[in-house]
Amino acid sequence: MKTLAALKVLVVEDEALVSMLVEDMLGDLGCEVVGPAAEIEEALRLAGSAEIDAALLDVNLGGRPIFPVADALKARGVPFAFASGYGEAGLTEPHKGSAVLQKPFREADLRRVLEGLAAQAV
Amino acid sequence: MTVLEADARAATEEIFDLRRRLAEAQQAHAEEVRRNQAFSRIAAAIGAHQSLSETVQAVIDGGVELIGAQFGAFFYNVIDRTGESYMLYGLAGAPDEAFANFPMPRKTAIFAPTFEGTGVVRSDDVLADPRYGKNAPNQGMPEGHLPVRSYLAAPVKTADGLVLGGLFFGHREPARFDSRAETVIVGLAAQAAVAIERSRASEAGDRELTERRRAEERLKFALDSGRLGSWELDVETRAYDASDICRSNYGRGPDQDFGFDDLVATIHASDRDRMLAAMDEAIRTGGEYDIEYRVVIPSGETRWVHARGRAAVRDEPLIGGGVRRMAGVSLDVTERKRAEERQRLLLNELNHRVKNTLVTVQSMAAQTLRAASDLPAFREAFEARLIALSQTHNLLTEQNWESASLREIVDAELEAFGGRERLDFDYTRDLRLNPKATVAVGMAVHELATNAAKYGALSTPGGRVAVSWSTEPASPGTSARLRLRWTESGGPPVPPPTRRGFGARLLEKGLAGELSGEVRLAYDQSGLVCAMTLPLAALEP
Repeated sequence: MKTLAALKVLVVEDEALVSMLVEDMLGDLGCEVVGPAAEIEEALRLAGSAEIDAALLDVNLGGRPIFPVADALKARGVPFAFASGYGEAGLTEPHKGSAVLQKPFREADLRRVLEGLAAQAV
Repeated sequence: MTVLEADARAATEEIFDLRRRLAEAQQAHAEEVRRNQAFSRIAAAIGAHQSLSETVQAVIDGGVELIGAQFGAFFYNVIDRTGESYMLYGLAGAPDEAFANFPMPRKTAIFAPTFEGTGVVRSDDVLADPRYGKNAPNQGMPEGHLPVRSYLAAPVKTADGLVLGGLFFGHREPARFDSRAETVIVGLAAQAAVAIERSRASEAGDRELTERRRAEERLKFALDSGRLGSWELDVETRAYDASDICRSNYGRGPDQDFGFDDLVATIHASDRDRMLAAMDEAIRTGGEYDIEYRVVIPSGETRWVHARGRAAVRDEPLIGGGVRRMAGVSLDVTERKRAEERQRLLLNELNHRVKNTLVTVQSMAAQTLRAASDLPAFREAFEARLIALSQTHNLLTEQNWESASLREIVDAELEAFGGRERLDFDYTRDLRLNPKATVAVGMAVHELATNAAKYGALSTPGGRVAVSWSTEPASPGTSARLRLRWTESGGPPVPPPTRRGFGARLLEKGLAGELSGEVRLAYDQSGLVCAMTLPLAALEP
């Protein structure tokens, strides 16, 4: 159980304007941004080895699905949430039920989702 | 004359008489044989399977020959397709025109027994007959009628009493028809009735057959032009009969075996149970069978078929808890299904893009607000960014959201700032960028141009901007890349900003991060220089 303050959040997002928004929001919430990663390879590297407490994953990364990154995080026990314009409908079967942040979202929505993740973080 | 002589004469006369009687008997016999032969021939002609008019003609000709009449006629009723009854006639011994100008015979006193089927009318001299000449307007035969004195008429009736018409014979001399003639004509009339009935039935049968063939041809034409296959299933024996088009819907040729089991096996494994359940339901209730399923045809291709059907005979009662036969149509709906799938994907994609664009706009609003000194400044900068984003969307929409041209991106974003007048750009070359790169490069160029117009080369009348680019092929250790350079000149000197604004952040961090490249801003004395090095892999459509 962690608080949002100094929570290290991996951001995976391939659109500059969107990741800038997320970075600013996370900064406002007192979190520390890891990344942002715009590519799967970079995201996988960070998910596997970076010091992180939680992660926020864009579902579609330049046309490639993010699920390998989600699997890597799951293996490490790092809680994560998907950010997607599709909502839960864009998720594949094994990931249904994961936390989803529907785009566009407010800072309060991000806070609520992050608090949920922080509660799971060890 | 002696007794002997007298005896001899008597004997001779007797012999003569015998000879004469023999000759008479022989002649009568020959006459009988001839008549019998004629009757057989005529009966055969009547009985031959001919058309109605040919049968009628054989009856009249035969009658004239058998009784030695001069004229013969047969008036008979015909019912047309609309149910209207009218009279036709056949003639012998006179041309067809002989009756052409007369109205059809009515049930006058002389004709009534014939047309009502009550009996034969035979008259040695019809002009002297008490039944003759009693009716207006003609009071007898009309002017120009065939000259008839001897008259013999018999009704032609079916076994159950229906009057089909009447046979009429005449001769210009009186007393030509005896009772033997009457007998012959009554026999002929009976034969005629049988032949006419049979001929009518056969013509009706032919008509029905032709009508059915036509209906079948029409149906086949309609099915063929609609690419509809037709099928029929015997529920009990599972005998399945499919038209050529129906077979082709399941990937089978006209000559290939295609039974019910083949049909079921062709249906996609995931749809098979659903299809069988739907068919069982339709058989059990006699209701509609209406289903779309996938089929895997022998070539391995998956196609969609829409099949419809129902009990082959609508009012056939349900037997043993179900219908006995089903019939229906099948239609290949693969194209429609693919179009629906494309539509669904497009809608999802559109929804995704709209949501993404909304987040982009949300981000632009938040970033602009952070840097804005007041609300009018926010509004001006935000609107300009919104329009810049919209222009990149216009370019992408023109190309079906597949790519946009670098030249057009630069042109579109610089248009509001003096355009080509103040821009050095090699318009002879071009590079196509994918949608993501289009938006990113478009927004970057917009930020550079806005900055130039506010603080840089485009803020003074003499300032210019040069945009140059080149591609570098891959070399060991580095991938192929685009070098894009924005160089300002002729403007005021630009000191590095004390605080990094949205533009610088978008360029140096955002664009570089998003496209996995490098972006450097240099604040030269002569003007701002922005050098971008971006991997082509991240840019190409």
